[in-house]
Amino acid sequence: MDDNKQNRTVIEAEIPMGPVHPAALEPYRLRLFVEDEIVRDAEMTVGVNHRGVERIMEGLPVEKANSLTEKICGICSNSHIWNSCRTAEIALGIEVPERAKYIRIIMEELERLHSHLLYLAHGNEVLGHETFSMRLFYIRETVMDLLGMIGGNRVQYGSAVLGGVRPRCQLDEMRLQKISEGMDLIEEKVTAFADRFVSDPMIMSRITGVGVISSKDALRLACSGPTLRATGVAKDLRTDMPEYDPFEFDVITQDDGDVKSQLLMRVLEIPEAIKIIRQAVRDLPEGPITNRSWEMQDTPITKSYIEVPRGTLYHSYALEDGRVRNCVIRTPSMANIGAMQYACIGHHITDAQLSVVQCDPCFTCTDRAIEIIKI
Amino acid sequence: MSLKSYSRGRAVHVMLVYTGGCNGCDIEIVNCILSPKFDAEQYKVFLTWNPREADVLVVTGPVTKHNEQPLREIYNAIPEPKAVVAAGACALMGGVYKNCHGDIPSEEIAGPVDNIIPVDAKVPGCAVRPQDIVAGLVSALPLLLNAD
Amino acid sequence: MDLIYSLIAVLGTLVVAFIVSLFLPGLERKFIHARIQQRVGPPITSPGIMAPLKFFFKKTITPESSMPRLYNALPLISLIVVVVILLFLIPDMYFAGALASVIALVGFLKVEEIMYMFMGSLSRSVLSVRMPFPDKAKGAAHPEVHQSFFEDLSSLRAFRLIAFGSFPVYIAMFVAVAMTGSIYLQDIIAYQQVHGPVLFSVAGVLGAIVFFIGYMILLNEYPFAILKGKPDVVEGPYLEYAAKYRAYVYITRGFLMFTLATLFSVLFLGIAPNILNPTFIITLIVALLFPMLMAVFSAFSPIFTYKQFYPTVAGVSIIGVVAIIAALL
Repeated sequence: MDDNKQNRTVIEAEIPMGPVHPAALEPYRLRLFVEDEIVRDAEMTVGVNHRGVERIMEGLPVEKANSLTEKICGICSNSHIWNSCRTAEIALGIEVPERAKYIRIIMEELERLHSHLLYLAHGNEVLGHETFSMRLFYIRETVMDLLGMIGGNRVQYGSAVLGGVRPRCQLDEMRLQKISEGMDLIEEKVTAFADRFVSDPMIMSRITGVGVISSKDALRLACSGPTLRATGVAKDLRTDMPEYDPFEFDVITQDDGDVKSQLLMRVLEIPEAIKIIRQAVRDLPEGPITNRSWEMQDTPITKSYIEVPRGTLYHSYALEDGRVRNCVIRTPSMANIGAMQYACIGHHITDAQLSVVQCDPCFTCTDRAIEIIKI
Repeated sequence: MSLKSYSRGRAVHVMLVYTGGCNGCDIEIVNCILSPKFDAEQYKVFLTWNPREADVLVVTGPVTKHNEQPLREIYNAIPEPKAVVAAGACALMGGVYKNCHGDIPSEEIAGPVDNIIPVDAKVPGCAVRPQDIVAGLVSALPLLLNAD
Repeated sequence: MDLIYSLIAVLGTLVVAFIVSLFLPGLERKFIHARIQQRVGPPITSPGIMAPLKFFFKKTITPESSMPRLYNALPLISLIVVVVILLFLIPDMYFAGALASVIALVGFLKVEEIMYMFMGSLSRSVLSVRMPFPDKAKGAAHPEVHQSFFEDLSSLRAFRLIAFGSFPVYIAMFVAVAMTGSIYLQDIIAYQQVHGPVLFSVAGVLGAIVFFIGYMILLNEYPFAILKGKPDVVEGPYLEYAAKYRAYVYITRGFLMFTLATLFSVLFLGIAPNILNPTFIITLIVALLFPMLMAVFSAFSPIFTYKQFYPTVAGVSIIGVVAIIAALL
């Protein structure tokens, strides 16, 4: 037995879970230090996915750079391209037409729906429940069809451009009708599923009290988004964003900070997203959807923060001669994943794997070159 | 049709390896196998996570530096006969990450899958459509059926 | 003449059992799992017959293991043990005395469980420690700790399961012993010819429920699949089996499903498997019903960790002890 004097814990063995593993949707490295199947310490390694996106974006013309940011992640693709366009629009002072703002919000909320449904399906698969996982994938197909209808592709639909929305994403009568029908269908099915899920004693006993992270720890480790709201702190950046001013929605919180709270968070956020989409469809203003009359200038580094399904996303870059300089992208998963390293300590190994997945990690979004300035 | 090729065509085990892509293709492939709408099991294609059990290896993503050795090890662990399907633009030619400017190759990725293991079937798309994945798998089958 | 009839009975029953057990995984997958999950599902022959057949035609590799030849021999030993269990349930073999008794069957089942432990400790797959990754970089946590394979973890869990996981099956088997007053299968069947099946009594019903839960634990089916659950240990002890040895693993599982169901019909219904006797139909029906019922339960449950496993086994064992007491009264 190894007696580790620094931590005063007893560690018998290390179990490495490598880049290729059934519970990992993306390649990452997790080393669990166990004593008799209880986890005493954990270490996560990101960096397996590093592809040098910021390096590629350096020097590209700004429209090309915007459409490249979409390829960073396949689940949060709309978030990246919206935020990247928003950065340039803030820097150059471009006025986005009202109709385009509403359409962008519809796409973002549809993305929130498909992302949360995918998280629930993956969480159920890590629990070992294949039937529920398949049911959730089936419900998710409706959202994918809607996204494919509006954007042209099921994944990476490229709706936002500099100054508005791409002409193909125009919403006419038929598309609005289909969106309303889709929303009714999803609301009915998700409510039925949630009732079934919460009333199942086997699943509830598996997820209650597992992977607890306190709100103090979550704030100290800079978590954001549903991961933070599940510990009881009511911080949602959407209340500060001017694009979301015309819409009414509630900020959902849960109290316990364990896996049950995280799962219920996402289940309860789905009706809120449906509410926003319904308001947007009902109040869609008339007008153009792209603003092409703006001047290119050189700008200093501009920042933009928006609320994406996982937390707070940050983009910043400067413009020089129409090209992107000094691009920095920081995704919410970077802090959330670090926090989960502490949440899995003290649990059985199977529960530790569940605690890592509970924060909805998107490793492929997260892999940037990081410079540590101060520890 | 001999018993060997008949049985090989009626039970195909597929293993997925994700090598650092954007996750779009991965979700579509999981959709193809786990979603009741596409359900690859009705085509006698079963999912497995163990290279010793697999016949077909489906690779997505441009192979990043840390994933090169694991991919090689997993490929070597699969017993003969085997086939490799590369799915998605990143696996076929490195996608948007291959070059960092113009024709200057990027140093972060070890190249498309072709540079590391031999590829038998190529499925294009960004992201691949689930219908195309099943078609790609089926097109790799004749190599398995007639191999000795 | 008698000898020829006995020989036909024994060999015929084994052959029919083998053929039926090849269809069981396919029926489970197509008719239960696929219907519940609202999809089409594979054809019936694919998971049970075509998959092992295909594995026979793959090229044999040397598994990564400290003793590869022993590791490869273990599935065959497991298959032989399960065939022996079925052999001693056939009435023509009851002349073997103590080998055709409940105690001997308990012993054979124990051997079958110990196989998991050996398989787990001998296998070293590429998915765990052997995955090449630059872990021991500067600043890594605990670089000097011994690294353990998934299969060792699985072997530890198998050890725990041997200790407490097989209680339900053994207690249920002793319900029949308590009611009939003898451990010999001959006497158990003779008692039930006279007094009616053990199942048709309070103790019998409770014993049947306990036997069913024990059946699921012995077959490592969800929710009791902690030995080979996907979220952490991938496949557990079976990770390094390829080609024909994996075919033996598949066949053993189907055969074990059939054998345990036959054990139920001997102990609780009083019907011994004999192909020359028309009551063999009932044995076949029970052998088809048990896997289907098990598939329905397993489709609706997650994997249990020890936090749920211990109370379940404890509760079921208490029901079993109550059944034994009811049988003795």
